[in-house]
Amino acid sequence: MEQLNEVKAIWQAELQRALRSARVVVLLGLYGLFSLLVLLVVGTLSSALSKKLAEVGGDPRAAEAAFSEGRNAILAVLFSTGDPAILEALKQVPLVVLIVFKVTLFFLPAYVALMGFDQLSGDVANRSIRYLVVRARRSSVLIGKLLSQASLLLVLVMVVDLGIFLYAEITTPTFSISAAAVHLLKFWLAAIVFSSAYIALTSLCSALVRTPAVSLVLNLVALFGFWLLDVIGAGDPSRDFLRYLSPSHYPNGLLHPSFAPFATSVLAYGAFAIVFVGAALLILRERDL
Amino acid sequence: MNDWAIEVDRAFKRFGSTVAVNHLSLKVRRGECYGLIGPNGAGKTTTFSMMCGYLRPNQGQIRIVGKDPRKPGALKGVVGVLPQDAALPAPGTVGGVLTYWARLAALPDPEREAKEALQQVGLVESWATSTQALSHGMAKRISLAQALMGAPPVLLLDEPTAGLDPRIAAQVRQLMRDLKGQRTLVVSSHNLHELEELCDAAAILDRGALVEVGSMADLTSKSAEFRVEIARGAVPLEELTLIPGCVGATLDSSGTLVVRFKGAPEEAISGVVGFLLSRGVLISSVTRGRKLEERVLEVT
Repeated sequence: MEQLNEVKAIWQAELQRALRSARVVVLLGLYGLFSLLVLLVVGTLSSALSKKLAEVGGDPRAAEAAFSEGRNAILAVLFSTGDPAILEALKQVPLVVLIVFKVTLFFLPAYVALMGFDQLSGDVANRSIRYLVVRARRSSVLIGKLLSQASLLLVLVMVVDLGIFLYAEITTPTFSISAAAVHLLKFWLAAIVFSSAYIALTSLCSALVRTPAVSLVLNLVALFGFWLLDVIGAGDPSRDFLRYLSPSHYPNGLLHPSFAPFATSVLAYGAFAIVFVGAALLILRERDL
Repeated sequence: MNDWAIEVDRAFKRFGSTVAVNHLSLKVRRGECYGLIGPNGAGKTTTFSMMCGYLRPNQGQIRIVGKDPRKPGALKGVVGVLPQDAALPAPGTVGGVLTYWARLAALPDPEREAKEALQQVGLVESWATSTQALSHGMAKRISLAQALMGAPPVLLLDEPTAGLDPRIAAQVRQLMRDLKGQRTLVVSSHNLHELEELCDAAAILDRGALVEVGSMADLTSKSAEFRVEIARGAVPLEELTLIPGCVGATLDSSGTLVVRFKGAPEEAISGVVGFLLSRGVLISSVTRGRKLEERVLEVT
């Protein structure tokens, strides 16, 4: 109970501190602008393609089939899968939303790193952590700070996803409000589960070193490392197992309609988060401050 | 419960190839004011940091009120720490930050605790001030205030008056005087006059090792010698040793008579002073013992 109170106090204070700092606003702006840019580019291309198909004329059914085929091809590339179940499940969602979501998901780990790279290393560097650790357990400090990062991300992702879905709702007449609401929730939760491992990875990198800049570099190196593992594993069947060691391998399952792939992805992200947080706790407990 | 508030047993700390603290052992009694003395690089702050649980000794053990400072939550409510060079968190106000720390320490009324601590360091008016807008002296006092919150039984103060102007430094010294006897105080400082005045006992460190430890009276030889400043007249040195309790006397180049004695100091001092006056020697001052600074310079 005492530790829970410590975590709560640190979580509240860190959240207030983050909200008072300019970084959250800057990151929200950056994330939002980036999403908007992708949204506009993809939206323009998508509507130009629809117009072109309409102009060419001919059988509207054939045009629609051609559009659907093109969309599936794009989705297959985007989600690295030809799984008809996932393509069917995403059928209702406008293509623009899927592309923007996928692209922002790709960059989300970098946003997470930018948001929290100094959560511990910053306090160790200026030694302000010394005021905390005589009052609270080191584990409470880490978990409290991690939860404040997670809370900020919950809001940040919701704001951006809301923007994307509002745009899609306005520009796609066939996309109903109820479908938009359901998919918004689904995509938001998927992004959060996906981010959990990266939030934990950022905490681990921040707990490892005492210089904020080094912790950011370390975090980015780790992101590239995991991405490479996935790419190498996917490209070389003899090294297929490497893919499973990377969090970059599991995002598609989070949007899968079947339980097994969905649960596998959720469990994988949960496992990565537990491993990273566990390592961060161990390191912070043992290290000099 | 034993008598010791702090027990350091053969603590050893190395940073890479540099030995910062070399098998240091010392004990601080409950309610005692204890000084950590030594030149830069002597290992004072490292010893301090090990006591606070910031650093883990490579070897040896440390106990604060019987607890291992590295055990999670062990020092909560037990120790108040004024760390050296630790920045106050920003952004935030002084009141907000202190209230947060009081809440974290599970104090019953965090805001009241924060206000009372600010009052103790004379900075009540800074409640709403941003932590980024504080001068060095103010930040130091805020840091001292956080150490006082919750009235912990042990206070570890690392360079409490360093960088403060004389008036504020005097206020902080007065605060430490007021706390003396109520709490166990460990003070690290380069201001030896301050430590001599405040501390009951001290440890002198040099290059990570303990070179001398003892009560302040022992370190300054208050129970073994006194100094007489001679204003005018010839001092009969040989005759002085015949005075009961007086075991030796020397006259240094600045005209100070150093008298070593055994037994009750008041008898030896009165005897020597009376004898000198009877011989027409004029005295400008009498000081018991020697300055701590002299002892420190001698051993480091």
